[in-house]
Amino acid sequence: MGQESASAGGPPKTVKQQRAAKREEKVAQFKREQARRERNRRFGIWGGIGGGVVAVAAIVALVVVTSIPPAPVVITGLQTFANEATHVTGAVDYPQAPPAGGPHNAVWLNCGIYTEPVTNENAVHALEHGAVWITYDPALPEADVEALRAAAPSTYAIVSPYPGLGAPVVISAWDAQVELDGVDDPRLQQFVQAYWKSPDAPEPGAACTGGLDGAGRIA
Amino acid sequence: MSDQTPAVRRSRWPVAVLAVLAVVVALAGMFWIGRASVVGTVPGSTSADAGFLRDMQTHHAQAVEMAMLVRDRTDDPELRAIAYDIATAQAQQSGVMYGWLQQWGLDQYGEPMAWMQGGDGHSGHGATGSGGGEADATMPGMATRAQLAALGAADGAEAERLFLELMIAHHRGGVDMAEAAVRLATQPIVRGLAEKMIAVQTAEIDAMQQLLAERR
Repeated sequence: MGQESASAGGPPKTVKQQRAAKREEKVAQFKREQARRERNRRFGIWGGIGGGVVAVAAIVALVVVTSIPPAPVVITGLQTFANEATHVTGAVDYPQAPPAGGPHNAVWLNCGIYTEPVTNENAVHALEHGAVWITYDPALPEADVEALRAAAPSTYAIVSPYPGLGAPVVISAWDAQVELDGVDDPRLQQFVQAYWKSPDAPEPGAACTGGLDGAGRIA
Repeated sequence: MSDQTPAVRRSRWPVAVLAVLAVVVALAGMFWIGRASVVGTVPGSTSADAGFLRDMQTHHAQAVEMAMLVRDRTDDPELRAIAYDIATAQAQQSGVMYGWLQQWGLDQYGEPMAWMQGGDGHSGHGATGSGGGEADATMPGMATRAQLAALGAADGAEAERLFLELMIAHHRGGVDMAEAAVRLATQPIVRGLAEKMIAVQTAEIDAMQQLLAERR
């Protein structure tokens, strides 16, 4: 003890002074201890809160990330419309060529492969039932036309020539259309995948048979 | 005494924090597992469930077409009734199958018959060869375009006989597809529908064979 106080330096201390110093030292030590506990306590609280927040955030992130559906294929050049679905008896002046929906005849065109142009007003009714309509420039080489027929779905699809078409091939469904560069344009299958019997059509799955066979139906 | 109280307080905090953390993690984990099990009930786009739901719609559509054709070509009340029954029942089932695919966020389009490949050696790729209707001859029991044309051209008893022959074959093919679905599908609701199709169409095959025998 005596050595301790002597090592503190300064003039020699009385017993009273030594006791006071000891007390102060004890108080200081207690305060340091208290400060340390306080630090630990705060660290525990904030660490716990931080850890909890991180855990919750991680779970939320996991749920959100895995519930996002895979991004649908973006079809370049896709056009969409908002046509109405009424029945009419006469010819219709359609805003799109070929028409991609709109007023139509009471009788739908039977789905299939046609060698001759089909009537717009009947074909649009087939689109209403969920069919896709593949139209091609009549000047297309026969081999290309054959490739197009082979690529078409076996049901709920119409393939027909369309004079005055603005592209080699145009594929249409109700309220959707895309102009294709040729018969091997990958957007053909992308469009079929997305719009064949699409829920966007007013009556998908309604009959595409038992209606009207247009001229030149070969399949 | 004064030393002990803070010591107890100090040791309580980490325990409380750990307890809260454990509860949070446990709840989150249970939520995650529960959610994953719900998400897990949605079959994929290339699943047998999805393939069956798509192809059976196509198969049913032809049954509806044939039933409507014969109703327009005969006055026989029994034939007209069974045709009405098949057309409306199968149109309703098609709507159900369409709706499940839509509910599960699956495209209606898929490679025809790919889900049954390996079973009977039929290839879905054959379907893209000819296009526009003939292709469906690769689906079991489907009538060809020529057979449909013959039914369309027939009348009266001849139409009835043709219809019965075609529809018996069509139902048999449908039962084959439904049996494959019972084997391959993972969703109980899909297998349940397939089992009902097997039961009903098997009974209808018997009834139609009876009707066909009466007309020979």
